[in-house]
Amino acid sequence: MLETFKKLICDYVEVEPDEITEDSRFIEDLHFNSYDFVDFLGALETELDITVDEQEILELHTVGDAIAYVKKLKGE
Amino acid sequence: MKEFTVNGAVLQCYPLTAAQRLHNYTVKYCPFHQILNIGSGLYIQMETDFDLLREAIYVAYERFDCMRLRFLKDTDDTVYQYLVPTEDREIPFRDFSSWQEEDVKRELEGWTKIPFKRFHSPMNQVVMIKLPDGYNGIYLKADHMTMDSSSVISFYRDVLEIYCAKKYGRAFPKPMQSYIQALEKDLAYEDNSPARKKDEAFWMEQITCENEPMYTDFNGMGRLITQRRENNNPDQRSAVVVSVNPEASISVYSLEKEPSDQLMHFCEENRIPMVCLLLMGLRTTLSKFNNNEKDVSIKSCVARRGTLLEKRSGGTRIHFFPLRTIIEPETTFMDALKIIQAEQNRLFRHANFDPIEYTMRRSRYRKFRPGESYESISLTYQPLTLKSTDESVPDIPYKSHWYSNGVAAQPLYLTVMHRVEDNGLNFSFEYRKDAVTDYEMEYLYYYLCRVLFRGIENSSRTVGEILDMI
Repeated sequence: MLETFKKLICDYVEVEPDEITEDSRFIEDLHFNSYDFVDFLGALETELDITVDEQEILELHTVGDAIAYVKKLKGE
Repeated sequence: MKEFTVNGAVLQCYPLTAAQRLHNYTVKYCPFHQILNIGSGLYIQMETDFDLLREAIYVAYERFDCMRLRFLKDTDDTVYQYLVPTEDREIPFRDFSSWQEEDVKRELEGWTKIPFKRFHSPMNQVVMIKLPDGYNGIYLKADHMTMDSSSVISFYRDVLEIYCAKKYGRAFPKPMQSYIQALEKDLAYEDNSPARKKDEAFWMEQITCENEPMYTDFNGMGRLITQRRENNNPDQRSAVVVSVNPEASISVYSLEKEPSDQLMHFCEENRIPMVCLLLMGLRTTLSKFNNNEKDVSIKSCVARRGTLLEKRSGGTRIHFFPLRTIIEPETTFMDALKIIQAEQNRLFRHANFDPIEYTMRRSRYRKFRPGESYESISLTYQPLTLKSTDESVPDIPYKSHWYSNGVAAQPLYLTVMHRVEDNGLNFSFEYRKDAVTDYEMEYLYYYLCRVLFRGIENSSRTVGEILDMI
């Protein structure tokens, strides 16, 4: 899952894949803005066939948070 | 895509995107074609080698496809776009160093009011400028169908970074990305894609919702009350906002660095996007001006630049959609911000949909008269600054300016940007002169600031308490 995230994150911000970890924070470390983040989740929806909730995504701050959320949606 | 023969050459031409069609619609129905002109200037306080600057501008023309964009009209009046491979127009130089600042501003506003020839012709103009007090730089006039403010900023940064790379022998900035690739992605979305169908369903649900939104004017209840009386409909909740006279001007209010920093610090600390804080300030101000109305809608601008391809390929990508907020007076400032953030995220997720189609469908469904709306104000927050972060660019004093083209389609359009000098916030109000006066705008700005600072100094205050305090 982390590899899928790394590949997609690199489409949005100038960062090397090796620099991305589960602890990376979207805003502070990866420099996403609010549109980047929502658009990124949209790309994840298409890639992983899930539907995210606008209220719940407000609580996702790190890559690890987002991976856990996606796993929950997929029932893993 | 369609092939056309232009000056003996066969060219691949593309239809307009939804963002471009919005501007094309405006220019089609507005007799003042300069309505799409964006005039701006970026100036640096340092000795400038203008021959080298000219070279840098030509290199930027090569790298930044949208600077070489042209339009053509088919026999059925459909507008298409194409790129020319090179741009070798003369880049003129004007010396205003002995002029007064105000006279230069008036002159450049005059340039900004001259419309472009629309077909088979360049859609931008670049002039190298020498200003008083040792500032030198570039004036850029661009057609909104080819560039938006993000593109303008990217072009300026690129020219400056190329100039510094050449002057100081450093590495060139990273290349720009393909305009055509981004365009093809947009056109693929519009071609009945599943994503478009999803967005269409979302917007139709918004349009047909049972509880009709409420028009809230920046000048209070007057406009709505008058129109209710004229139409003999005391329950009317929308108002006609267009005018036959689009004459407009821009007034800029500068929020000092320290209070600007307080707003930014609040956003960082609470993970609230600045645009949501501004929306909260504006919607609460409109609420105050309209009998503490709970249901307030504002047209929110979405830059639609998420991926690196979208960020670095120029063009015009802005879509506007209404952001509706229904907030009870017992809601705390912080909770209201979270409501707005969730609404804004919903809007972002469906922002690729064609805004003209949305507007037309809403007008049909609500049986609107021409120019009728629920929103009186549009808001843009531009997070990018003209100041380069590239290491090759020395730390020098900058100055920038956005010049009015003299006309506007919307009654009031607020753009909040960071100042290039100190990163403080500038509130730039573009207003139609028949809709709002200088005094009324200052009043609006004053209340907007009061809401913002009463909210951030204690975010557990309720919206009702803030409305009573201001």
